[in-house]
Amino acid sequence: MSLREDPLNIIVTGVGGQGNILASLIIASTAVQDGVSVSVGETYGASQRGGAVMSHIRLFEKRQYGPLIPEGKAHIILGFEPVECLRTIGGFGNQGTKVIVNPRPIYSVDVLSGEAKYPSIDEVLNAIKELADNVYVVQAVKLALEAEDAILQNIVMIGCLIGSEFTPLKNETARGVIKEIFLSKSERYLAAFELGAKEIKKTKPL
Amino acid sequence: MSNISIDEPRKKLLLMGNEAIARGALEAGVNFCTGYPGNPASEILGTLAKVAEKFEMYVEWSVNEIVALEAAGAATAAGLRALTAMKNLGANVCADFLMTVNLSGTKGGFVLVTGDDPLAHSTTTELDTRNYARLADIPLLEPATIQEAKDMTRYAFELSEELGLLCMLRTVTRLSHSRGVVTLGPIPSKKRLAEFSSQDLWTSGSSSITCMLHSVLHEKMKNVQTKFEESEFNQYVGKQDAEFLIVTSGTGWLYSLEAINLLRLQDDVGILKLGTTWPLPEKLLASYLKYTREVLFVEEIDPFLEQNVKMTAAELQAEGIGPIKFYGQKSNHVRGEFGAGTGEINVNTVVKALMEIRKIEYLPRRSEYSEKVQKIISSYTPPRSMSFCAGCPHRASFWGIKKAIKWYGQDVIVTGDIGCYSLGLLPTGFSVEKTLHCMGAGLGTANGFGNLKKFGLDKPVIAVSGDSTFYHACIPALINAKWNQANILYVVLDNNTTAMTGHQPHPGSGVNALGSPSPRISIEDICKSIGLEVRVQDPFDLEYAVQNIYQMLQTEGIKVLIFRHDCPLTEAQRREKKPVIYVDQDKCIGEKCGCVRFCNRVFKCPGITWDYTKGKAKIDELICTGCRLCADLCPEGAIKVEETV
Amino acid sequence: MSATPLKGPNELQEQVLAKKLCSACGACTNLCPYIDMVEGKGAIIIEPCGLNEGKCYNFCPKTHLDVPALDKIVFGSYREDLALGTNISVMKARAVDSEINEVAQYGGVVSALVTYALETGEVDAAVLAKSQDQISAEPALVRSRKQVLECAGSKYLVCPTVSRVSETMEQIRGGKFCVVGTPCQITAIRKMQASNFETQVDRIGLLIGLFCTWAFSPDVRSLIRETFGQVKVVKVDVPPPPANIFVVQTEDKRFGIPLDNLRRFIMPSCNVCFDMTNEFSDISVGSVEGEENWNTIIVRTKKGEELLQAAKNTGILEVRPLEQERLNHLREASLIRKKRVLTEKEADKVAYLRIRDEDKSKIIHEKGGS
Repeated sequence: MSLREDPLNIIVTGVGGQGNILASLIIASTAVQDGVSVSVGETYGASQRGGAVMSHIRLFEKRQYGPLIPEGKAHIILGFEPVECLRTIGGFGNQGTKVIVNPRPIYSVDVLSGEAKYPSIDEVLNAIKELADNVYVVQAVKLALEAEDAILQNIVMIGCLIGSEFTPLKNETARGVIKEIFLSKSERYLAAFELGAKEIKKTKPL
Repeated sequence: MSNISIDEPRKKLLLMGNEAIARGALEAGVNFCTGYPGNPASEILGTLAKVAEKFEMYVEWSVNEIVALEAAGAATAAGLRALTAMKNLGANVCADFLMTVNLSGTKGGFVLVTGDDPLAHSTTTELDTRNYARLADIPLLEPATIQEAKDMTRYAFELSEELGLLCMLRTVTRLSHSRGVVTLGPIPSKKRLAEFSSQDLWTSGSSSITCMLHSVLHEKMKNVQTKFEESEFNQYVGKQDAEFLIVTSGTGWLYSLEAINLLRLQDDVGILKLGTTWPLPEKLLASYLKYTREVLFVEEIDPFLEQNVKMTAAELQAEGIGPIKFYGQKSNHVRGEFGAGTGEINVNTVVKALMEIRKIEYLPRRSEYSEKVQKIISSYTPPRSMSFCAGCPHRASFWGIKKAIKWYGQDVIVTGDIGCYSLGLLPTGFSVEKTLHCMGAGLGTANGFGNLKKFGLDKPVIAVSGDSTFYHACIPALINAKWNQANILYVVLDNNTTAMTGHQPHPGSGVNALGSPSPRISIEDICKSIGLEVRVQDPFDLEYAVQNIYQMLQTEGIKVLIFRHDCPLTEAQRREKKPVIYVDQDKCIGEKCGCVRFCNRVFKCPGITWDYTKGKAKIDELICTGCRLCADLCPEGAIKVEETV
Repeated sequence: MSATPLKGPNELQEQVLAKKLCSACGACTNLCPYIDMVEGKGAIIIEPCGLNEGKCYNFCPKTHLDVPALDKIVFGSYREDLALGTNISVMKARAVDSEINEVAQYGGVVSALVTYALETGEVDAAVLAKSQDQISAEPALVRSRKQVLECAGSKYLVCPTVSRVSETMEQIRGGKFCVVGTPCQITAIRKMQASNFETQVDRIGLLIGLFCTWAFSPDVRSLIRETFGQVKVVKVDVPPPPANIFVVQTEDKRFGIPLDNLRRFIMPSCNVCFDMTNEFSDISVGSVEGEENWNTIIVRTKKGEELLQAAKNTGILEVRPLEQERLNHLREASLIRKKRVLTEKEADKVAYLRIRDEDKSKIIHEKGGS
């Protein structure tokens, strides 16, 4: 296993309740089984009640790293929600960052109550494009519905990440991790994963 | 997911910090585990509970932290090994016992794990529990990595048992909730038996006995200090005999290492990482301070190391060491978002401090990029405030209280407490609650507000608390209110779980930490036995809920209204088949008079969103939990429930 | 065509609710989640909805009441009779049916007319005021004779009848219904019909108005209960002057509470009400002084006339002319009230009322003024 960057810094970002933590667990476990060391940083509890959530996943081989990615040092950002994806790039992105984003917006109470304005999806995606290297837009929820349940969108996105080959993580290993976690119920998760892995290969960057 | 119970020494596992601590306790052969749910420590006991049967351990969620610590203390007095885990504020609750237990001494290994919360992600303070170690003469360990979290916990039991002292392990959110790879150790197979007889005396005494025990405690701590001088948990990396030294503990270590690398200072500075931070290994410190001209302290929250090392350094002046320039929180070099001594530290914190002190230029990103970021982020990223989950009964409860207060037509004081319902302070809870401090403070402070009539403050008082909070802290305040005749309407929000911390059971749940059936202690029975008027109401029956509050606001004395409705996110609720909710697009009148987007704009359930192009409400099927409350509230009856067969 | 300038909840709060001029008619409640009726005592705005214009302001009888404009909409022309409002005829009548007379307060005319309208299918339902304890009142939707009789008897406490109107539209799909109400309630419904808002107006088939001089707030119950305890009340009444009492009849006794002891419970909105004989209804019904078994009737619209004739011809009602003396007395009472309101010192409390200047001076300066 050789990391093209050491540490390789990945951020999974979204809204509380989107399955952020499960996603980071699967990615991190895949890395460990592929022989790479990991450090994962995230927050539980209050910040999850509808708030923004980020998981920092750091892959390394040479020496150990702390759980938080420093400012501007994310190599890959997996965005479950477009505005959160943009917010994360603002803090941790740089001109070389690769982004995979699910463009389905989740309006916050601040937006719905009329206090704040949610930009158009085009505005958000253009902003992301300005601040990143390659941006891949994946309709993860639509794909998840093909796998039976819209809630599997996070698994679709993991499929995209692994299928993209931005990381050295192997497809087979990830499938093994998914089977270990979900046991007899793995079928739909594996289906969602495969849909994501296939989709990213035919997606052109913005 | 991670199976901490596997008996495979030297195997590598991906573990959360809290899981690693639990594993460390297992490797120490822990017998008796207690705690109270509290972020960031909840998973420690939760993990131990899952493997309790396999290892024949006793694991209990206690009603609060002091009972937890006392029960565990007794187990150690009987020769068992015991662990108590809690969040930082829990240390305040058990402080009474904490101050006396090391005077009385312990027998079996006794470890207290406290979880601090820099930046107060889920807490109402940034309490740094390391201060308790100094205050109560407790040996203190601070893990800096997930591996250390495990190894230090195991070691803490050995140290504790050898010296007959409670030992403390301090973790923080960033460690407890991070994951890392851990190499496992062996799990002992030897079982222990508890022994305690009427011949044993276990006390911190009083007057001269206490002073004598106090002196013994001082001696023990000197012993600990000697051991700490040689501890493997204190490490040094970097330049030999460095003149610029970073002294750090906990998460500061990996942050400092990375910062040094980013600034290419590997050959210029030394890093002394202390894992044993009270009592300080003074001889070890002296051996490095001998060469040092400048010291930078990197630690989470309080200048604990900073102040204690400075004291040591002052003493060392007499031996010719120094003068040393100190940097850290006092010098304002290490600061969080809101200043020094507050907020979380991270790699950037250390980078900024070093840049300022060493006058180094460093840009994490190109300046044009940073400028672009400034412009874009301010225009295109609306805030995302916290909100009650879809289907949360607290939303209904607070809407009911808000309406009832409007019906009452005059100002009402509403005090709040700790739990998911703390969000009642925010727009998601219609900003109904006005106070928030600590467990039980809602009813506690209401005892004050409700007795100020003679000073001209004669407003009704509503005190809000949750069910778990009721058992933890509110019963004494309830008795006080009756005894001292305070005017309070006490609203208990009973969602049948301890939700904010991960849905742990409590004395009203009917099950214990292991999920076995357990006596159910009824809140209303307790209130009735104190002689109070109690009403029980489902907050989802909003009409009756409002009427009940409105009526009860108009009577004197202390009375209780229990709003009872399950949290939609418990296992039991999740397993139930829920109906599909949808908005009839023809019936929805959206922004027109008669509705004006009530469901998504005012009631603000995240399960309901707004289609800006169609001008109609829409259910977000990914978030909706099928509670049906919106269907009841829609003024046009446009929200429909599709029952699934 | 709207008789009221478009304004919203902020003005409702400022002009009516904050000034305690709400008559608890219920017109602004049940329209949206932002305004509640509190225990039948008055409306409360829970939260401003954010709109500048709304039904709440527009339906309220105590906001901008342009009397001549509303006259034109309802009757087709301005009123000629300044004392009693537009009318086709005035008479007295009583119900013939003894079952109705058993439960009626006076002549039983309202119960008889509503029952007749239901039984002939002229309307499919009616919104009335019902009392469980003979003192308080709640709106009730009725569809049968039996249910009408359960609502018989005068209510002296306010009742948010109009709050049931919008609900009723939902509950009786496509059907027509009638409403029995006090002047403020009937005025609110007429404003509803005259407004620009979608209100399914033609489904309100018939408006029967009650004469009204004042009504109590539900707070009066505390005094009544204090005085009489939980005893069962069979009937209440306010006999005509010179008697100055509120009669409470139990199963075996008849009590009188001096009205002076109860005046503080009269709704403040009644003090600025211009309308004693329910001037915007199809047909108004009141008592006859000195004749407990009869009602005074003022027929105002063609619809009201048709109903009355039909009821008379079918023998449901016995109708006789109203004695001139009684008619004069009625006009005088109504004019005194109008005069008092028009000369109210706190002018902002009557600023809602718009009548023609010439009418205003006629009422204030002349006697009789017809």
